[in-house]
Amino acid sequence: MFLQTLITGLSIGGIYALMAVGYSLVFSILNFSNFAHGTIIMLGAYIGYFLISSFKLGFPFSFIGAIVGAALLALINVRLAYSPLINRKAPPLYLMITAMGVSIFLENMVYVTVGSHFYSFPEIFKQSTIKFFGSDISPLDLFALIFSFIAIFALHLFLTRTKMGTAIRAASYDMTVASLNGVNMNKLIGIVFILAGAFGGLAGVFLGVKYMVYPTMGWITNKAYIAAVIGGLGSLPGAVIGGVILGVLETFVSVYVSSVIRDVFSFSLVILFLVILPAGLLGKYLEEKV
Amino acid sequence: MLLEIKDINVFYGKIHALKNVSLQVAKGEIVTIVGANGAGKSTLMWTLAGVLKARDGSIIYKDRPLPSFAHDVAASGIILVPERRRLYANLTVRENLIMGAFLRNDINEVKKDLEFIYGLFPILKERSNQYAGTLSGGEQQMAAIARGLMSRPEILLLDEPSLGLSPLYTSEVFKTIRQIRDKGTTILLAEQNAHKALEMANRAYVLETGRIVLSGTGRELLANPAVQEAYLGVRHKVI
Repeated sequence: MFLQTLITGLSIGGIYALMAVGYSLVFSILNFSNFAHGTIIMLGAYIGYFLISSFKLGFPFSFIGAIVGAALLALINVRLAYSPLINRKAPPLYLMITAMGVSIFLENMVYVTVGSHFYSFPEIFKQSTIKFFGSDISPLDLFALIFSFIAIFALHLFLTRTKMGTAIRAASYDMTVASLNGVNMNKLIGIVFILAGAFGGLAGVFLGVKYMVYPTMGWITNKAYIAAVIGGLGSLPGAVIGGVILGVLETFVSVYVSSVIRDVFSFSLVILFLVILPAGLLGKYLEEKV
Repeated sequence: MLLEIKDINVFYGKIHALKNVSLQVAKGEIVTIVGANGAGKSTLMWTLAGVLKARDGSIIYKDRPLPSFAHDVAASGIILVPERRRLYANLTVRENLIMGAFLRNDINEVKKDLEFIYGLFPILKERSNQYAGTLSGGEQQMAAIARGLMSRPEILLLDEPSLGLSPLYTSEVFKTIRQIRDKGTTILLAEQNAHKALEMANRAYVLETGRIVLSGTGRELLANPAVQEAYLGVRHKVI
């Protein structure tokens, strides 16, 4: 029971981490909470669902299709909605409000075009459980867990080993100076949104397979947002740690206490963090000598 | 002329920060701009780096207008080492230097330049894996200049490189600037530390409340009574 709960918790934590990474990437560069991210995740789930059930593309291709589709949508989102504001050097608050607008718009577009049905993904794994040290573990949980961490590790390598990745970290500290070093900020922001969107698509498919696909599913990113706050907004390792902590704690609370108070617990946790440790566990407050 | 600025006006909102400023920089020169706080030195530097825009007038670099985006200006060979260094505190010293070479794809040459820089500033080699935010002020200034050099600039714009440094470090920085010029890089230097900056300048300008009020060779300005009184602390009138 304990091991099973732990693995379920870790897999949910992995999905939270995937979503939180998307928030954090954008926040680290543009200093605003991109509330449209949840909608991108929802659209990614829809893309995955329709590719697999209507176009019969098979899981691997639908999976890739959802990732690519969500990444493109994120890019369109930044180019149409945010870039005009960024170019006018609008304060982050304006971007956040725009993000809320984008989110409401897209969600309602889905209601109007696709409808408010709940869709469930077809069976992907033939076996519903596998035995693992005497516990019954769902292969989906295992797959989501492993894949989330592989994706996050790949992102970590990209950010630390490549020139573009280093530039993203540099720009998160000082955008103006990065442009003095020859970094095209427009292009960099585009890449950041493509990355965030791809991670959103990934999370969307996992959520869709685990639960259902429906227009308001993006609101689960509230949890990812909590994860990002716990870890420290803008910090990638923080987002991952926050996601995992939240996923595991939530699962343990719902299994050992009651699933009814799960969300109460999560929101209490974030309030606690905001009061005691507002920068989160690994918030980006690096001191600089003057 | 490598860089020719003609009658530019720059505004911060309603504040008229640069008024009909004209100046020239020839290849291989050290050109110094002296001026007090708020005279417009940094505004001029940010304008030349493509971050601020001149409302009118012209900036001609290598017979072409200055590109309009900062990253294109950097690509064309004008590199600004901004005031207060502005290192990436969340990156290591080495990563900061690599960021200076962001536009370059000649990996082997970049490695060679990195070794050259470590030879020029041995302290940076020692600290290469330390976060840049943990360096002392003088070390940060060295790192900032080094980051600029990693771009292999044609013109290096240095905005108050001696700001907040001890006299010892200041001499060190000015020595380095001379070395850089001797290797063929053109330098435009904005300084409040007028004596040292004028001493090594081929030509110099005095900026006061947004206007160029004086210009000449470095030696001429050093000998000018008005400059001596305003910037070098020499008193001519008997009180």
